[in-house]
Amino acid sequence: MGMMESLAQLREEAEGKLKDVQSSEELEQLLVDVLGRNGSLTSILRAMGKLASEERASVGAFANKVKSSLEAVVAEKRAALGEIAKQRRFAEEALDVTAPGQLADPLGRLHPMTQTYRLIRDALVGMGFSMFDGPEIELDDNNFTLLNLPKDHPARDMQDTFYINENVVLRTHTSPCEIRALTTLTPPFRLLMPGRVFRVDEVDASHSPVFHQIEGFVVDKGLTLGDLKGILDSFVHAVFGEDVKTRLRPSYFPFTEPSAELDVSCSICGGKGCRVCKGTGWIEILGCGVTNPHEIANCGYDPKVWTGLAFGLGVDRMANLKFGINDIRLEYENDARFLRQF
Amino acid sequence: MKLPKKWLCEYVDFNVTNAEFIEKMMWRGFECAGVEKELSGVEGVVVGRVLSVVKHENSEHLHICQVDIGSEVLTIVTGADNVFDGALVPVAVVGSKLGGREMAAVNMRGVTSYGMLCSGAELGLTNADYPGSEVHGILILQEEHPLGQSIDEALGFDDDIFEFELTPNRPDCISILGMCREAAAALGQSFREPSIKPVKGEGNTADYARVTIENYDLCPRYTARVIKDIVIEPSPAWMQRKLRAVGLRPINNIVDITNYVLVEYGHPMHAFDLACIHGSHIVVRTAHDGEIVTTLDKRERAVTPDMLLIADESRGVGIAGVMGGLNSEITEQTQAVLFESAVFKGSNIRATARKLKHVTDAASRFIKGVEPVSAELALERAVELVAELKAGTVVGEIIDVKKEKPVDREITISVDHINALLALDLSAKEMAQMLATISIHARPTLGGLHVTIPHFRTDIESGIEADWDIAEEIARIYGYYNIKPTLMRGDTFRGRIDDLFLLDDAVKDTLVALGLYEMYNYNFTSPSVFDSLLLPKDSELRKAVRILNPFGEDQSLMRTTLIPGMLDSLVRNANRKSGHLRFFEVGNTHVDTGAELPEERKKIGIVLGGAGVDFYLLKGMIEELFRVLGVKNAVFQKSEASYLQPGRAAEIVSASGASLGVFGELHPDVADGWKADGRVYIAELSFSAIAESRTAGKRFEPLPRFPAAERDLAVVVDADLESTVLKNVIETAPAGVIVSDVRLFDTYAGIGIPAGKKSLAFSFSLRAEDHTLTDEEIKRGMDAIIDALKENGAPLRA
Repeated sequence: MGMMESLAQLREEAEGKLKDVQSSEELEQLLVDVLGRNGSLTSILRAMGKLASEERASVGAFANKVKSSLEAVVAEKRAALGEIAKQRRFAEEALDVTAPGQLADPLGRLHPMTQTYRLIRDALVGMGFSMFDGPEIELDDNNFTLLNLPKDHPARDMQDTFYINENVVLRTHTSPCEIRALTTLTPPFRLLMPGRVFRVDEVDASHSPVFHQIEGFVVDKGLTLGDLKGILDSFVHAVFGEDVKTRLRPSYFPFTEPSAELDVSCSICGGKGCRVCKGTGWIEILGCGVTNPHEIANCGYDPKVWTGLAFGLGVDRMANLKFGINDIRLEYENDARFLRQF
Repeated sequence: MKLPKKWLCEYVDFNVTNAEFIEKMMWRGFECAGVEKELSGVEGVVVGRVLSVVKHENSEHLHICQVDIGSEVLTIVTGADNVFDGALVPVAVVGSKLGGREMAAVNMRGVTSYGMLCSGAELGLTNADYPGSEVHGILILQEEHPLGQSIDEALGFDDDIFEFELTPNRPDCISILGMCREAAAALGQSFREPSIKPVKGEGNTADYARVTIENYDLCPRYTARVIKDIVIEPSPAWMQRKLRAVGLRPINNIVDITNYVLVEYGHPMHAFDLACIHGSHIVVRTAHDGEIVTTLDKRERAVTPDMLLIADESRGVGIAGVMGGLNSEITEQTQAVLFESAVFKGSNIRATARKLKHVTDAASRFIKGVEPVSAELALERAVELVAELKAGTVVGEIIDVKKEKPVDREITISVDHINALLALDLSAKEMAQMLATISIHARPTLGGLHVTIPHFRTDIESGIEADWDIAEEIARIYGYYNIKPTLMRGDTFRGRIDDLFLLDDAVKDTLVALGLYEMYNYNFTSPSVFDSLLLPKDSELRKAVRILNPFGEDQSLMRTTLIPGMLDSLVRNANRKSGHLRFFEVGNTHVDTGAELPEERKKIGIVLGGAGVDFYLLKGMIEELFRVLGVKNAVFQKSEASYLQPGRAAEIVSASGASLGVFGELHPDVADGWKADGRVYIAELSFSAIAESRTAGKRFEPLPRFPAAERDLAVVVDADLESTVLKNVIETAPAGVIVSDVRLFDTYAGIGIPAGKKSLAFSFSLRAEDHTLTDEEIKRGMDAIIDALKENGAPLRA
């Protein structure tokens, strides 16, 4: 048999075997057997040296053709086998995607009050407010007297107070920080003063003897009630979104005049009226006003020159409103099932 | 403050819906808490006709009625004997309310009753309101009414009563007239202010009574009037009805007149039985030491010299502004009365009422503030009513004792200043017109406004606050909703979150990343927690600030440590099986240092319970926190904190020697005290010490350019040796190369290790800055480390 015939036969046999190959191992073995160093094609090619040169050229060309066609068939087969193996893997490794995920170290949670406080703070800092801090246990003077609430002022009954002694109280609001700011800093300034406050309120769904406020306090020349409205609108929209409506209505506080309270449209019912907003469609979130001139004068400034704008908002209530929490007690029970939701 | 709509309509034209009125009042600063029906607690009760009455088979005293309520005929069982065929009666149908309680169908001895026939009393009526209201039985209506008509409409008791919440600056509005004045302005209507017809009495008042004020500071004005030939009887129906509408119980004509005037004018009055006033002489004086006054509520009250009394020539006959005395009470036998209408100093009445723990309605009025002009008006009004009701014969003239005549206060305010405060541009004339709508007379002057403050507006100051007071009135009238929101002008400000607030954020964010949930616990704590924490008697943590008026002893102290609150919450979570027992809290504690204000100490607390927690997990969290915050070179050493298990307690000390905090495993006795199951680990760190121990700013350290050789070794040492000692030995051995990342990765005692010893296994890295170490360098380094360990009593484990 001539070399050409041997080559043709080899190709035929190899192609036949390739067709039957089932696995990549078989394929690789076949490759070694045919195209490997000691493979059948190789041994045929080795015998080429014995041929005459003109014959060698034509046999060589044919041998290369056989080799490349075999290689092409092998590549095709390899791809096909690879695809089969992948499909098998996909089938075997299919998972229940509805089964729960697993975390070695799950994250903790920030209390909803902290989250709300940060939202409010960030909105105010964006308007040029800086932070200021004051103590939770305060002088009666700072908490009341210098804020235009002298002893025996009837409005002292508005805020039932925990006393430490005649001159020291648990602060009933963050407003004493205003006195500390006026007596230690030099206006103009824009301050935000967060903190815990205390009132003699028996615990129920909407009252807690411990709660949180953020006091906003701006002192500058030429401030107006319109400016106060502008500040409040901006930050309410930052916290509750653009769709919420606000309503600034007259009220009374001894430390502001004119005084106002800010209502926002009830996020629970969308303003239609529900249990949370007592059917009014509005929820009060803060008290505010133009700083009472007595307070400015008590701290050594001329109220005709320096105007103050102040607001004190309840963080607890805003957190409840933001997240739809219907019972303030949940904020202080620290039940993990509650905290996990935020 | 209750404002009945019909009463309002006597003085103001009411031309809007209730909802519109409520909104208009809200914009004036008067918040309406709700609208009540005149028949309180009655809802959905209708007129029905009794078609038939049959005796109940199973009962001696029950009757079964067929009652036509227009839309249907109901079977109703009643116990009353006075119903008859054809009677028109009030029917509380199923779903209606009576006394606030909802009616349901009830089975009465085998017969279902679909509602109830009502008596006058059940509707809250008396004979004066409707004849037959007080009979024993069902109220029989006297006139024809459509069947099914609402009973309040049928009887004419269908008024709406607005309940307004007043702010403390407007005591003048704790009165019908005050509210009507504001309501008229809010509605854009005129206020038909009633005028009082002064009554000229018979005879000379001085022949009947006289008044002396000993303390004008506490009682600037005392007016009085004598009425003789008193006829005590029920007051007329119209008066009773109005009193009931505002929540007062009619008593008799004289008492009702004082109450009526109180509601109408807001000024508290009192009526004394003149026969009981010794010497017919009222003396307004402070109490004597040891004096006792028995008040109308029959309680003996010990009064003190700081309290003001109304006395006669021998004894107290009332505690001024708080309550009258029992010894001069109006009775059926009273023949002559002395009406008192006075002004008492609010702060003194406040102190007295608080001291006596008896804040009466009258006292609260004096506390909120009354004024001398209204005192006289109220008295004249009462006298007018006496004449109108023919309750007695008015005597002579008014008795009016006062130090000075009340005069209207005049102020001049700056129009420009008010415009500037409110961002408005109103003329003086416009302002004057606005103020006139609330009875404040003002006239423009050069650059200002001259304002006469009406007597009832005690809240408006004539001093420094005047501009602001008037600005508030202008803003109220102009409408807050009309003021445009603006952006603040002037200097620009750089908003800034200060360093300590950022640290607070970083602490919380890091602990959250470490898997902890944030707690908010109350500051109140019990004195018993210190023993529960096994604290020594002299522990600083026992120096708690005490609250004078706490809710109870167990909440009487301000916390000195976060631990008790955190343990409470941890145990609550364990009991509720909430599924998570790893928490932190950042909060203030207070220690009484003897200074005027206690020392406020901000603490960071961590508490770990449940599965998979141990000492080193807690320590790892603290170390990670310190790494993030930039607290370097903190030293961990043994602690003897009483509430931690001995041997599992550590104190952290900063490089400069400050205590950064204490942590460890909760002492088993403490855990028992809290009924905490399993092991609990707890840490309390000082926020301020951590703040001060941070290295300023973080600086980048270049990464190693050449690979390190990682090695480990194990040594055998005494069982009580602290591993840090050997860590230091490894780090400082003369290895000739950089030794880093020294880590204890295994501790072992047991088989193969002699008793009293343990094996410690360390891993570490060896490297050089400028090249890859050769095998020779590594060997030299290891030899040096091994030698150093051996010299320090830590030979290699065989």
